[in-house]
Order: sequence, then structure tokens, then C-alpha cells
Amino acid sequence: MISRILRVSLAGFTGLVMMAAAQAQQSPVVAASAASRFAGADAAEVPDFQKHIVPLLGKLGCNGRACHGSFQGRGGFRLSLFGYDFANDHGELYGRVDTETAGDSLILQKALMQIPHEGGQRLKPGSWEHHLVLRWVQAGAPARVENPATLTRLEVTPSEILFTAEGQQQPLQAIAVWSDGSREDVTTLCRFQTNDDQIADISKEGLVSAGSPGDTHVVAFYDSAVVPIPVIRPVTPQYGENYPQVAATTKIDELVVQKLRKIGVVQSDLCNDAEFLRRVSLDVTGTLPTTAEVREFLADTTADKRRRKIDELLERPGYVAWWTTKLCDFTGNSDDKLNNVTPVQAEASKQWYAWIEKRVRENVSYDKIVEGIVLAISRNEGESYEDYCANVSKLYHKDGPGAAGYADRQGLAHFWARQNFQTSEDRVIGFAYTFLGTRIQCAQCHKHPFDQWTQDDFQQFEGFFRGTVGRQNSRPDAKADYEKMVAGFEGTAGLKGNDLRRILAEQVQKGATIPLAEVYTVKAQPPRRNNRTPRRNNSPIPATAKLLAGPVIDLSQHEDIRQPLMDWLRSPENPLFAKAFVNRVWASYFNVGIVQPADDLNLANPPVNAPLLDYLARGFIENGFDMKWLHREILNSRTYQLSWIPNSTNRLDERNFSRAVPRRLPAEVAWDIMVQATLNTSKNTEFVSSVDKRALSIPGAGLRQRNRNPADYALTVFGRSIRESNCDCDRTEEPSLLQTIFVRNDAQVLSLLDSGDGWLREVAEKHQLNFQPRSTPDGGNAQQKAQAKARFETQLQRLRERLDTAQKNGAERQVVALKAQLKKLREQARTQGVEISQDVEPEPVAATITVPANLNTEEIIADAYLRSLSRLPTTDEMQTSKTFIAESKDPVEGIRAVLWALMNTREFMVNH
Amino acid sequence: MAFFQNCDGVGRREVLKAGAFGATGLTMASYSQLAAASVVNPNAKGKAAIFVNLNGGPSHMDTFDLKPDAPAEYRGEFNPIQTCLPGVMISEHLPKIAGCMDKFTLLRGVSHSVAAHELGTKYVNTGNRPLPSLEFPGYGAVITKERPGIPELPPYVAIPNSAQRPGYLGVKYAPMNTTSTPQIGQPYRVRGITMSGGLTIDDIERRRGLLSQLDRTFSDVEKDSQLLDGMDEFGQQAHTVITSTKAREAFDIGKESPEFSKLFGGSQLGASCLLALRLVESGVRFVTVTNGGWDTHRDNWTTLKTRQLPALDEALSGLFTGLAARGLLESTVVYVTGEFGRTPKINQERVGRDHYPRNMFMILGGGGIKGGQVLGESDETASMPKHDGFSPDDVAASFYHTMGINHTFEYHTSTGRPVMIVRDGKLIPQLFV
Repeated sequence: MISRILRVSLAGFTGLVMMAAAQAQQSPVVAASAASRFAGADAAEVPDFQKHIVPLLGKLGCNGRACHGSFQGRGGFRLSLFGYDFANDHGELYGRVDTETAGDSLILQKALMQIPHEGGQRLKPGSWEHHLVLRWVQAGAPARVENPATLTRLEVTPSEILFTAEGQQQPLQAIAVWSDGSREDVTTLCRFQTNDDQIADISKEGLVSAGSPGDTHVVAFYDSAVVPIPVIRPVTPQYGENYPQVAATTKIDELVVQKLRKIGVVQSDLCNDAEFLRRVSLDVTGTLPTTAEVREFLADTTADKRRRKIDELLERPGYVAWWTTKLCDFTGNSDDKLNNVTPVQAEASKQWYAWIEKRVRENVSYDKIVEGIVLAISRNEGESYEDYCANVSKLYHKDGPGAAGYADRQGLAHFWARQNFQTSEDRVIGFAYTFLGTRIQCAQCHKHPFDQWTQDDFQQFEGFFRGTVGRQNSRPDAKADYEKMVAGFEGTAGLKGNDLRRILAEQVQKGATIPLAEVYTVKAQPPRRNNRTPRRNNSPIPATAKLLAGPVIDLSQHEDIRQPLMDWLRSPENPLFAKAFVNRVWASYFNVGIVQPADDLNLANPPVNAPLLDYLARGFIENGFDMKWLHREILNSRTYQLSWIPNSTNRLDERNFSRAVPRRLPAEVAWDIMVQATLNTSKNTEFVSSVDKRALSIPGAGLRQRNRNPADYALTVFGRSIRESNCDCDRTEEPSLLQTIFVRNDAQVLSLLDSGDGWLREVAEKHQLNFQPRSTPDGGNAQQKAQAKARFETQLQRLRERLDTAQKNGAERQVVALKAQLKKLREQARTQGVEISQDVEPEPVAATITVPANLNTEEIIADAYLRSLSRLPTTDEMQTSKTFIAESKDPVEGIRAVLWALMNTREFMVNH
Repeated sequence: MAFFQNCDGVGRREVLKAGAFGATGLTMASYSQLAAASVVNPNAKGKAAIFVNLNGGPSHMDTFDLKPDAPAEYRGEFNPIQTCLPGVMISEHLPKIAGCMDKFTLLRGVSHSVAAHELGTKYVNTGNRPLPSLEFPGYGAVITKERPGIPELPPYVAIPNSAQRPGYLGVKYAPMNTTSTPQIGQPYRVRGITMSGGLTIDDIERRRGLLSQLDRTFSDVEKDSQLLDGMDEFGQQAHTVITSTKAREAFDIGKESPEFSKLFGGSQLGASCLLALRLVESGVRFVTVTNGGWDTHRDNWTTLKTRQLPALDEALSGLFTGLAARGLLESTVVYVTGEFGRTPKINQERVGRDHYPRNMFMILGGGGIKGGQVLGESDETASMPKHDGFSPDDVAASFYHTMGINHTFEYHTSTGRPVMIVRDGKLIPQLFV
């Protein structure tokens, strides 16, 4: 959430420079602060419930979670958490005031600690806060006014703070601008928060104090407004006018440098060509460049070769697979949540993948793809229920088009049919996560503490999600067709649920057309005159719904009530839709988003570089949501192509894009390149042109559906997304001990080195070397086998121990019996295809190895480097590897060890 | 962070600032002297620890803090039974634990205010109330940093994974996840920890030598990167784990006798506890066992009596008696907790109980913790601690203390920010032998 830069000595550098703050527009009347208006006990003004009382309760901490904001409400006094439920809060307070003798009001006595209050003294006697509450009570403790003005904006000045030394201070001023045109200085009524108190602390009064160098934000909260103010203290003297002349080739670079200039950080140099090629190939296509490709790229002397390579990579199947996978992550394509959505298990996740894959392949614009999801129903336009069933049943026929055929359907209805998307609350939360990159769940129950959303916003937004039904059978008007079709199959009478599904599943695979479940929408009824506000749970579909920070929509005007939702998403004014995607794409290239976490866009978690995010989001919209435009724009920037080697200013910056930050490869890519690096030349090259059998193109995900694919264990260890909890953090990219153990020593990885299609065999054949495998062949079900092996080994071990004792004791008959048992066990293992250890360890290396005198290991070593690290070895590395192979009794083991070691370097497992 | 205020009206930072000028007469300088210079007391009784995380928040009122006299809308279906401690009653569905209450301290009236799963879990796994700007390290990370254990074994194992994160200490202190759960009576191993495929020790040593010479690209910057530094550390650990036979032995609960295994029952939780015991016996310093299914918003009583409690009863009683039988209880701390309790008032609509952090139970036993006592008490409806109660911070401080770690020791984060191991905890003196 917070950008941070470590302390850098600022010796001899002082002087305060305050950024020229964007001044609040001059306005004729700004009411002075409540602190001055209520300084005396004799103010005539009556405080306003929404403008003064509720914010003050927030400021005093009364409605915090630990106090009266909790759902149980301390002492039976329950305020809405973080405010904004005015009716409830007024009711609760009103029961605790005495308008006759205001001073006897419980809320005053408690807060002043005139009587015991577990929360301590909140009001100082004689303070302006005391006067304000007292005056409100004296005036009869009025509720929120009828038809209240709404807060238009909160103007906080200065809009940015630049400190240069510890201890410097800057007060904030906050002016509330209301929809009726009135303005008020509400500084003393705001709550303030710092996002990093090491860099900038902020007092309750809004006084910001400088801490250590770095950049962060302080945040002002008032009513529904949340305003972040950047605070910067440069980390080196090279900032502002002292900033060196630097290259900035694209708009992105300009905006990144603009920020770096303020914090005194200089970007690293450009990365070299080999680093660029590896980085961009892994990032864009999840695939290593082939050795030939590296050599060719390094030899190319044309000026625009990086640009051309980017264009080339964006056309490869790896790009399509990787971004389909990412979109499946964001949209939640999880096998665990798609049980019974299709008549045949696991087809739903494949169809989901295929549907997105086709569109990414054709570079359909992002908003079009989203439209196909948001407005999805099961039937294509004009399709009757019977046609729909006939067309989709075909996808399950043995010789039908399979899941790929689903890609031609108009909508991705599974998105609405999945189990974690059934209630309208779930839908709001999942939708906000997927398309708005926002965690709105807090507002389900109370005002969002870090964002503008109130519970009312959430509930009114929910209306858009109530009209979509994902059922196990047909739309009600096709019920007769459905039943007729069911009755057409023998043995279905009276069957329901799983029993019926089983029969239908059998039939459809045999080629029948079966009645299918469908997702459909229900129209809203026009609003009734005397029904002022739509009540929840009254009818399934309210007459109106309200867009987030947008207008109220009459849903009865729309065939599909999701249409206005979609129109709002793709409108250029939408504050989040484009940003959410742009930020995620950025995060996938830079380790962190411009907003971080990348799926947590909220007002109190501002972008580290707001102009940059704005520029990319605007450009994305202006270019018709063209995803490839976005990729090109980022990949062609100098900022993307920087070296990971730091300079003296940016060593500790991981947040402002001043250098490349080494990051662990995503799980799918990590596994795929382990396979790719070990394959022979022709199989290795196929990785560039095909994604068949790759982890990159596994459609579904989830916890329960493991062990279908040989890569499953690796993907679990490396943290592939489980697509379960509406969080990008379902995917992890942190290292772990188990990952290291896996790459170093797992039988599955070791067997890759010795694979029949492997590079090692290719080398051995080419140079006529004896090939002695050092691993057990892996049939793909390594985990199962490992477990079976473990079982056998334990039994064997027990028998051996008993045999040992028997032999020591000279119990001959027992020895014979045990030996027979041992033999039997070995046979069992053999018939099950499990290799178990022998009683006598075999000699690891055969004695007959001959090393050809003219073996040129340099070429082999260079090849190993190119196929794993995508670069040539340094002189030292070459020498080390050569010596190692020369000193190996078996040169093949020497070469194997070199490739093994390269795959175990950090350079292999991180993108840098 | 002034934003998160406590009910006592002041955030922690303000306490410090007030202290500088105020009545206590503490200056910042003398305050920081309180944070002692040395972190480890090697003579502490606790040498290893097993942390059992009951994920979802187990209902305190239906397990260890029953209120048979509370009104019907609170009470719940279960009856209390007498334990081996005179006058102490727990749920009828925990008969085996009732029989070994002499081996640990039951804490009632533990209280906090974080009612969300993720944040509550962070709280009880770190002993620090979560902050948005800083991720605190879990117990396992701190303990294995200070008391690393033997090189042949991973110092810190999570079965099958853990909510404890290394936080600001860096990923190199993350646990090794087994990713799977063992079964009683079955052989068990973690993939990759045993040498395989015809490689000899000699081969592996040679390969490692080569690797250390080739993995140097990042040497100049690795200390600035949690990722690179962590991977380096894991590389060293991986090598010792792979080359030692100790690891394979330690993980294989199939090597336990059927008689001993039986103590733990047949559940995954039981098998996990047995594995934890075996690992600790072999020299692993810290083991977490994570067990879910406790988020009983619906059908609380059915779920508890048919699934959750029978497994817990056998697993925990097996763990305590097993540790005692092997002579490990004196040196092994067992710490059992969920992220919160559950609402004393029954949710009638769903026949369940919802999240409730104000009052919960925790269990701490072994390794210098006194057995056979109940500390703390809740009110008539188990809604609040009757007296002061304990905070998760207090329990954390005490846990570290018995593990020989000074919880007031200050670490420095990567940005140089000083942070105490437990920022706000007081020792609970009655806990210690």
C-alpha cells in the first residue's frame, strides 16, 4: 500500500520548499471552522447533524469498531460503524440527550467523564467540541435535515507536500463544498490518517510532520469524502532543479521521471539486449526464447529490434494463453465453483477458458469481452430453448467440437452460474473485484472506512444484480419444453438433482440433445407511485438501482437491467473500469501496480503516480480498450526496459519504477520453463509456436481438482491462483523452501533432465557419449507413485529390520520366511510399476565410460546457458563449468549437473 | 496510526508521546532502555513449539467456556462435564481433553476487537493488532530467527500450510509447507526431501559446489531484496534437508507404532498433531498445524458434535499425553487458538453463532507453562471477561517468554523502523511454572 524509500543521508542539505499547492478556488463565502465558531459557549448557530455532529463523533472515535461502532455497541449504545447511517445514529443519540437541561445529557456526561465512561474522556470541558455538542442538544438535537445538500467535494490544501528535513511541519486545511454552494472550513472536523508514519505523521488537527525520507500519503476523511495528499521528502539532494538530465523516450517515461525528480531518484540504465529478450519473452508469452532466437537477437544491429520483438511476441500463442489465464484469474474460472454447471464435469472451466481465449486471440477489445460477460445469458440471440439445448448439447458429444465450440457462443454465462456468484451481495463483491479492482465488501455492512462507499451505495447498486438467474433448469416460459425433453429419456420420471443429471450426462455424451440449465434475466417492474423507496427483499428486482457515484437508473426501462451497468462500465467517465485493468497489466510487468495491491483501488490507497495511471487509463479508453495498445505502450517504454542493476539513488526503491525489480516467475511459467529448458532443440522450439500441454493453458483451477495434470504439484508449490476469494492474492509469487527443494531434488524435476526428449540425450548422441540416467522415469503421475513407493519402502524397511534381527539371532526359519515376504513385496511393486530401492545400492556410475578426446564442452555449455538463462556465459562461468565437466568421471553427469545448477540459480527462477 | 484508536481513547503512539512529558516520567530514552538488549534466554524451558490454529473461530461457549445457567438464547445444546481438575467443567464432547487438563493452562476471557477472519487470524498469529502499513511476523518466524534449530531439518514446518507470515522479517523465515496432510497409519513424506534417482551424496555435494559458483549474478544486490535473500537462505536449507536422512525419518508418521498413533484418533487433525510431535522430537523448532471448519454460522451444534469436536478431542489429548509420554512436554510449548470466539447470543435463524472477538478461549501448555489450571473468567453469558481479561498480546508475550524470547526486543524493519516483537503485551505471571 505504501511506497517507501530508505533513509539516505541528507547531510548539509536543509531548507524548506513547500510545493505551490493548488489553491482552492476563490469563493466569496467560506464559513470559518467550527472550532472558532464554537470557541465560546454562547454561539447562536445550531450545529448540523450531518455536517458537524456525525463527523465529530468520527473524529472523537465514538463510532469506531472497538467502541460504539461495533455491532454489539458498547454499553447498549450502537452507532453505525464509521457513520453515515443518519437515521440510526440520530435515534441512538436522541435517546441519550436531555433537551431541557442539556448539560444532563448522557452523551455529554459520558464524554466529559462526569460519570464513568469506559472509553475515557472524549470531550474537554469548555472546548469547542463540548460547546458544539451542547449547542446541538440545547437546540433540540435536530436530526439530519430534509432533502439535505450532498457533499460535492472536499478541497484539501496544500494538494502536495514536499519536505526536506525531519521535523518540518505543514498544516492542512480542508474546505467542504456542498451541493447548495455553501462552503465551510472543516479542518477540525476531519479525521486524518497517514499511510506511513515513518515518513509523515499527522496530528488530529491536520498538522503534518516530516519523518524519514521517502514518499507516502496523508489522508483526510470527512463525510463521504476521502482525500489523499502526497507527502514527499527526497531521498537524495538530486531533486527538483538539481535533478540530472535524463532520458525519457515515451510519455510513460516522462511521467515516471516527473515523480522521480521530486523524490530525488534517478533511473537505472537500460538493460542489455539479452536481459530484454528474456524479460519480455517471459512476461508476454510465459516462454523462454530459444537459443537460436537469442543469438539472432543479439546479432541484430537494427535500431528498432526491441519494438519489432514486442510486436512479434504479442502475436504468439503464449501471449494469448497467458492473458487468457490472467483473465480467468480475474473473472474466477474455478472448477470448485462450477460443479454441475455443465452436464459433464470440468467442461465448464474449459468452456470458460475457450471463450476468453478466442477473444484474446482475436484481440477483441476489453470492453467487448466484458460486455459478453456482464450481459451474458445462456441463449444466443433469437435462440429458442430447444435450439439452445441442441446447439450446446453438441459440445458434449463424443465427436463434437468440444469445449472449443463454446467460444462461439455470444455470452460467458458461466460467470453468472458459478456457485460463489448466486446472491446479489456476492455478485456486487465479485463484480467490483473483477471489473473495478475494488474491495467493496466493507460497505455491505457499514460505511467503507477507506473509501467513499456507504452501505446505501452498496444496497442501491445491488439492484443491478437481482435480475439474473442461474438455475439448474430452463427459463420459466420454457418449462414445458424442459419437462418434455426430460420425459423423453427413459427412467427419468420423478428424478431430480444428481440422479437426473447423471442420466442426462450419459445421454448427452452418447449424442443426444438434453435439456440444459440456463442463465437468464428477469425484467424489472415499473416503480409504483406510492412506493417512495424500493424496499430490499420485497420483490426480487427493485424498480431502480443506483450506479456507484452515479445516477439512479429506472430499471423498468431496460430489457436487460444489466445494460445500464455495462454502459456505465465502458463510459469514459467511469472512474475505475479502465484503471483497474491498466493497473493489473502494469503490475504484471513491474512486480507492483501503480496502485498496490493491484486489486485494491480505493481513495485512501492512492496511486504512487496518479498522472501515470490517468494517462494509461485515458489512452486505453481512447484506443477503444485495445489490450495490445496497452501492452505495446508499456513494453516500449524505457521504464520497462531498465536494468535491474541499481545506482546510488534507487537501490532501495521498489515502488517508483526507477529500475527493474527481480520477481519470481508465476507458477505456470516457472514449471513450463523448467520443462522447456530441459527439452531437446526441436521440442524446445515448439514451445514458441504452441501451448499444447502447457501449464500456461490449463483452463480451470481450484483446490479440489488437483492431480489431473502432471504439473499440479508444482503449481501448488509455486502458488498458482486458486480463483476462489475475489482477490488477486489467490496467486502467490513468493519463494519458499519447498519450491527450492522441488527444483533441486524432486524426482519429477530430475527426470526432466534425463527425458527421452531431453536435451541431455541429444547432446550425448551428438557427441557419442554414454548416457547413464540419474533419475527414475516419470510417468506423469509422480505424486501417486511417490506415495505408493513410500508405502512399499516403509514395508520393505520393516521387513529388512526384522530380517536383520532374525539373522542376528540365527532364527533361520524366520529368515527364510522373511526373505520370501521381501521377494513377494518386490514383485507386487514391480507389477504396480513402482520402482523401489534394492537391498544393495547399485553402483551409481558404470565403469565403462569413455570420454572422446575432442569433446568441445564450450559449445555445450554455451547452449546450456542460452536455453536456461537466455544469455552466454561470462568467461568465469565458462571456465567454472568447463572445469567441472572435465573433472566429472562421467561427462554426461557433468553436463547434466551444469544444466541442473543453472535451473537452480536465482537468475533462472526470477524475471529480472 | 491515530486512525485506529482504542477504547481507552489513545493510540499507542500517543502513549509514547505522552510518556515523554507526562506523569509517568518516562522519557523516550528510558523507554527504549526497557526494550532489553538481549533477545534470547537460552535457559528458558520452552525449546520448541506446536501452534494449533483452529481456523474460523471455534465457539468458546460450546467447548471450553460453557454457561449452563445462561438464558436459553445464549446457552446452546451441550452440557458441561467434570474434568480432572476439581470444579472445572468443559463440553461433554471433549471427554478425553477433560481427562488431561492437568497438562495445560486453559485461558478464559481472552478478548480483542477484530472480528474479521483475516485480520483476527493475523492478530492471534503475531500477538500484534494488525496495521495497514506494516506486516508483523508470525511466532514461527521470530522463534526460528532467534533459535534456528538443527541444520538437517527445516526449522519451521507448517502442516499443511500456515496463516503465519514472516512479515517484515522477510520471506526467508517463512515455514516449509507440507502442502498435504498425513493419515494415521500411513507412511508419509514430503516430496523432494529425500535423495533419489541414483544420486550419491558425492554427486549432490559436487552439484552444490557448482551451483554456488554459478549463482552469483545477484550477489551485489541480494541483501536489498527480500526475494533474492530469501531464495539464498532456502537454497542452504534445502541442501541440508535433502542430504540428511533425518528429514525423511522425521516426516514419516507411518513409523509410529499403531498403539501410539491410536492416541491421536483417526482425523487429519490428529495425524497432523502426531506429525508435529515427531518433527519436534527430531529437532524442528516450530510447527504449525492448521485445522479448519470452525466458522459455524450455521448448524453450530451439529457440526461441532459430529465433526469438529470428536477430532479435536482425540487430537489434542493425543498431543498432550503423547508429548508427556515421550518426555517432550517439559520442553515443548503447545499453543491452541482460533482467531476469535463466537457470539454468545445464538443466531436463531441459522442455528449458529457468528464472529465474536470480545471473549474467547486459548490453550497454552508445556515448555514451562503450568498445567492443571484455568486462568481468567468470563461473565454470566460468556460475553465479556469478568475481570480484566487477557489480550492476544498478553498471551503472545507470555508465549515468547517461556520460549526464551524477550518480547520487548526491538527489531528494525527494512526501512529502519524500530518495532518491538510484541508491541503491547504484558506477561501473565500465573502461567509459568
